[in-house]
Amino acid sequence: MDFLELFMPTVWFVILALFLLLYVILDGFDLGVGILSLTSPGEDQRTILMTSLGNVWDANETWLVLMGGALFGAFPLAYGTILKALYGPIYLMILGLILRAVAFEFRENAINKRPWNLMFGIGSVLAAASQGVCLGTVLAGIPTDAAGHFTGSAWIWVNPSSLLVALTLIQGYVLIGSTYLILKTSGELQRLHVRTARIATATTLMGALAITFTAPFASETLRQRLFDPAFLPFFVVLPLLGVALIVQLFRSLALQQEVWPFVYTVLLFILSFAGLGVMVFPAVIPPSVTIFQASASVTSQVFMLTFIGVLIPIMLFYNIYNYIAFRGKVSAE
Amino acid sequence: MLATFDVVTLSRLQFALTAIFHMLWPVLSTGLAIFLVVLEAIWLRTSNPLYYRQARFWAKLYVLNFGIGVASGLPMEFQFGTNWAPLSEFAGDFFGSVLGFEGAMAFMLEAGFLGIMLFGWQKVPPVIHFLSTVMVAFGANLSVFWILSANSWLQTPAGGTFSDGHFNVQNYFSAINNPFMVKSVIHMSLATVETSMLVVAAISAWSLMRQKAPEFFQFSFKLALVILLAVAPLQILAGHESGVQVAERQPTKLAAIEAIWEDEPAGTSPAWALVAVPDEATGSNRWKLSVPGALSWILESRPQLSKPVRGLNSWPADQRPHMVGLLFYAFRVMIAIGMAAAALSVLSLLLWWRGGLSAESFVRWPWFSWAWILSAPAGYLAIEAGWVVRCVGRQPWTVYGQLRTADAASVLPVGEVITSLSTFAVLYSALLMFALYFGARIIAKGPNITLEPPGGRGSGAAPAAATLPAPGA
Repeated sequence: MDFLELFMPTVWFVILALFLLLYVILDGFDLGVGILSLTSPGEDQRTILMTSLGNVWDANETWLVLMGGALFGAFPLAYGTILKALYGPIYLMILGLILRAVAFEFRENAINKRPWNLMFGIGSVLAAASQGVCLGTVLAGIPTDAAGHFTGSAWIWVNPSSLLVALTLIQGYVLIGSTYLILKTSGELQRLHVRTARIATATTLMGALAITFTAPFASETLRQRLFDPAFLPFFVVLPLLGVALIVQLFRSLALQQEVWPFVYTVLLFILSFAGLGVMVFPAVIPPSVTIFQASASVTSQVFMLTFIGVLIPIMLFYNIYNYIAFRGKVSAE
Repeated sequence: MLATFDVVTLSRLQFALTAIFHMLWPVLSTGLAIFLVVLEAIWLRTSNPLYYRQARFWAKLYVLNFGIGVASGLPMEFQFGTNWAPLSEFAGDFFGSVLGFEGAMAFMLEAGFLGIMLFGWQKVPPVIHFLSTVMVAFGANLSVFWILSANSWLQTPAGGTFSDGHFNVQNYFSAINNPFMVKSVIHMSLATVETSMLVVAAISAWSLMRQKAPEFFQFSFKLALVILLAVAPLQILAGHESGVQVAERQPTKLAAIEAIWEDEPAGTSPAWALVAVPDEATGSNRWKLSVPGALSWILESRPQLSKPVRGLNSWPADQRPHMVGLLFYAFRVMIAIGMAAAALSVLSLLLWWRGGLSAESFVRWPWFSWAWILSAPAGYLAIEAGWVVRCVGRQPWTVYGQLRTADAASVLPVGEVITSLSTFAVLYSALLMFALYFGARIIAKGPNITLEPPGGRGSGAAPAAATLPAPGA
């Protein structure tokens, strides 16, 4: 039983990380395309942008729903504490996602598309920014009492470091959205997004550097973790890989490649995500509540694993099939 | 006004508002999906393009409806963390797992195949497309199963023990298959199909009244009617069964929905209140119109009660639901609509039998068309009323008999909840208006009756008109 009590929370931490990573990559490019749609030169181009998301945005958003449900079931304490602490940004995110979703459907039926275009873009920006604020706040740490209940103020998420993460995440989403569009469009529209991808690579990099250098000042725990010799290999290897990927990304953009920019961006997302995981693990409510403390009962986690674990490959299978069925360039109708 | 409420009341209001609004959309996502499966199956079998056009037209409404359903579902899930953290901690082991299953099994299935169903007509072979439509319908209906299982567990918790303010699951299958589960899932599934068919029939009746695409809408009307004839009577039975299980397991809810204030001993034949003016201050009905001796027939199908029925006054005020008037009338509204829908369906069958269900009859008898048009909003009203009975009637408990609603809510700053609550109120009102507006535009524009199926499948060779024969002919 001892083994299971260590093993199961770790398994669930990994599964949750997988769901979150899939969400951030997949809905990340949805939101990125949504933000980019604000700068579309014309209605036809915007239609192409939105058509490129038509068959996937909904399934992509579902990874967030899945992450929420799995966090609720596997770590009920963390679900309550984190969501209560992030009341403000969670509601702003939901608001953003609602605006994005309904603008999608309403625009389709509207004659005057402008209000819905605006709502689609603003909803995407709002959702992206709120997710960044949530991420920044959780990384900086959520104050709790001994039982793991939230003890901070309702405005804990309003601070410069979470604002910085929010801005950076928006850049990251614009980057992955641009490279997705390079993949899905052609001609003038594709060239436009090679340019936006270049700019976004630079701004994302600046944001990531700023976060890396300010993080040790924002949180005591992060400072300790960063300078802990045991973690040194990670903090040497990860940045080196990052540099290599960024060089490759710039190169592939310069060479006008279609697939590689997206691949490198996804790898960069995975890398950043691994970095965050190393900084946080085994905390599920940083800085102090670990996955073992916040864990649901082992029987519950085993039961959930048998159900959801089996389904993960199946879900991946039909989601991939969806992408394959709609592979290739998007055209307006 | 909101500022005078405490945070528990505000969180309840917010949950009620978001749940009532959210419930409007899964109705079509689940019920209309089955209709789309039927249409596409007929198309694949007959190769008649009429059925293809049917599938394409109703799918337009489906997608408009679906996006709002997905979006308005998000706050439902997240509220358990933001506003009901003590509940999450208390019941998360089970309740959270079930929401996780719903996401992985049902929601993802539906979302993963929706893209192909909506936009994949030219991209995948017809069989794969049909399979996708089936998966969307299957996923949506699995969702009903998991959500109703979770909600039933709140009504009749089972499968574990309660200790230290925590529910410990011992047997997942008996927790999932808790006493209310089976009948609640059936009742809700029938409700979504029934209301969806009322919507199809209403839109068809409206179009027929205006002589728009009469052949097209005559078919959809008759198909919806055939399904309704099966579903509406079954639903009355399922509703009755649900009522009986409430009488067995939730006596306080039963007393409230029937406005029974004083105990009714076994062996008597008490009257059943048809309408009443319940007065909580005096603990009695100020006025009522009742049917003598009917209560035992309704509850037990026999002339005398075999078991006593407890009245509301026999419980302390903090152990029974309040808002008795709301519960009493919500229950009656639901039943009246269920009965009326069944009656209207049977009446229409009789007309059909007598050959009176031609496209012209909808013009000749505006009352008939209007009865059908109004049945669509009535269907939604019945579903909402049913949920009010179910969840307001469960009060003061969130987990019946185990966790009080007052203890299930997070302690949050009042201003925070007021802000989110009022944002939802404004946003949802606007969304509902626009959804109705765009829905009306789709209906006004009508189907594309020259649309050709992908790959030239079934074009040309098939008969021009397809109609169901009159059953008496």
